[in-house]
Amino acid sequence: MAYLVIFHWGWLLGSLLLGFAMGWIAVVHRGPSVSNVMARWLAAFVAALVALSLARVVPGRLGYWLDLGLMMFACYLAGCAVGSWLRDWVVSRSRPAV
Amino acid sequence: MHGLFRWRAKWWPGVVPLVALWIFAAWSNTAPVEADLTARSTAALKDAVLDKTRIEVDGRDVTIGADAFSQDGRHRAVTSVEAVPGVRLVNDETRLVPEAKPFVWSAERDVVRVTLGGSAPLPSVKGKLADATRTALGGVEVADQMNLARGAPPRFEAAALLLIDQIGKLKDGKITISDTGVTLSGMARELGGREAIAAALKNLPEGFSVAANDVKAPPYVFQAYKDPVAVTLTLSGNVPDNNVHSAIAQAASRKFFSEKVVDNLKPSVGAPSGFAAAVVPALGALSRLSTGTLVVSDREVKLSGDALYDAAAAQIRAGLAKDFPQNFEFKPDISVKPASAPVDPTVCQQLFSDLLGKAKVRFESGRATIDPDSAGLLDRLVEIALRCPTSNIEVGGHTDADGEDTVNQALSEKRAQAVVDYLVKAGLPASRFTAVGYGSTQPVAGNDTDEGKAQNRRIEFLVR
Repeated sequence: MAYLVIFHWGWLLGSLLLGFAMGWIAVVHRGPSVSNVMARWLAAFVAALVALSLARVVPGRLGYWLDLGLMMFACYLAGCAVGSWLRDWVVSRSRPAV
Repeated sequence: MHGLFRWRAKWWPGVVPLVALWIFAAWSNTAPVEADLTARSTAALKDAVLDKTRIEVDGRDVTIGADAFSQDGRHRAVTSVEAVPGVRLVNDETRLVPEAKPFVWSAERDVVRVTLGGSAPLPSVKGKLADATRTALGGVEVADQMNLARGAPPRFEAAALLLIDQIGKLKDGKITISDTGVTLSGMARELGGREAIAAALKNLPEGFSVAANDVKAPPYVFQAYKDPVAVTLTLSGNVPDNNVHSAIAQAASRKFFSEKVVDNLKPSVGAPSGFAAAVVPALGALSRLSTGTLVVSDREVKLSGDALYDAAAAQIRAGLAKDFPQNFEFKPDISVKPASAPVDPTVCQQLFSDLLGKAKVRFESGRATIDPDSAGLLDRLVEIALRCPTSNIEVGGHTDADGEDTVNQALSEKRAQAVVDYLVKAGLPASRFTAVGYGSTQPVAGNDTDEGKAQNRRIEFLVR
């Protein structure tokens, strides 16, 4: 894990920034949302991929790419969470008190 | 925090560029990651004792193929690669090197190279043996054809190193270790080499033994070459020790009265028994030849050259074999020198006087038996007598003044007759020769000194 982070820190940072930007936009975005059912399926899918990765059953390069993808995705999600939370905080401060 | 649940439904559009980023990251990083892990795995196995090590990295999975020399070695190799940071899985394709039974190692020497074959227990030992061979035989090509195998006996390396030192003492041959038995064959490079190898084998490490030592000694060679042009006798080759050396040198100077003796003999061990007893009569036979070569190789005596006349050739061919010790083999190759042109009696007399001025016919002390050392001189006298076939020759015997006159008179007659008998035996007609004894009546020097007496004891040839 440490090796992957050190070796790919640039790409992970990119994913984090991408997530931060997406999270920043998501607070005020008025586009279509993912339904709860869909979100659950997606979560299950990602959980399955994580399980595959931890079990190390995917061989060779595919296994490496899976690990890399999941780490980048994790960074993306973390970036999204931080971005959304920060944007929400900024929006709520600028809104006049009722 | 509640907002997160709401907002996360809107996070999905970023996944599209994220996937693009992921593909790009995977595409550009796979080769560097694999190269990095290959380098780290190789470094981790640097100190492991393995042969034919092969490292393949696929993603972060490392496959190690190698020949290990013990189960423990295999296990340690896998563990050390597993400990490399970044490695996800290790596929163990290592195996134990095969066990050799019997464990055979060999070193073979031929004219141009030394070939190391058979099995070595470890790569380090293999390298050490090859290096030791190169050091021991500086300049000789060393071909390393050793395989690696398990099953070497304890202290194998020490035994092999000791034997590598011995291969330098061989001209050609093979040394083999089979389990703990050592077999040697071939020919030693120098005289004494076989004995030196046998002595060194006593220091073999505990547990090893000599199964067979068939190393042969090189032939023990003694050579003598009589050169009529340079008037030299060249002695070369080996003699057993200084005593035999001086005995041979003295015999040579007695038998070869006019030739200069060039002595290139060197003392070496390993002479066949009866060496001196064979060489001295063989030198006597060589002294009777006009030109010739004597080669004594182990127990074989080869004499080749030209005798001065037919009867001498026959005598040498027939007579020499019985002078040798029993176990020696005599191979004569004697031809006869073409007869020299006849000369008139005056020249004949001159030739006799010149020859007898250089050397004297010797007899056993107080007796009329011709000393074998004088055979060469007598053959030359025969050769001269053959050149003046019409003239009659008086053979005169003289003694010193010691003893009674009658005894001296009789001795001088007998000695003159012995010389005439020799000439007749050589094929000359008896009618041409008269043996006359003068006793001590015709001294050529004073009889008061040993030197003078020696000059007075003589045989003279007078052409009439």
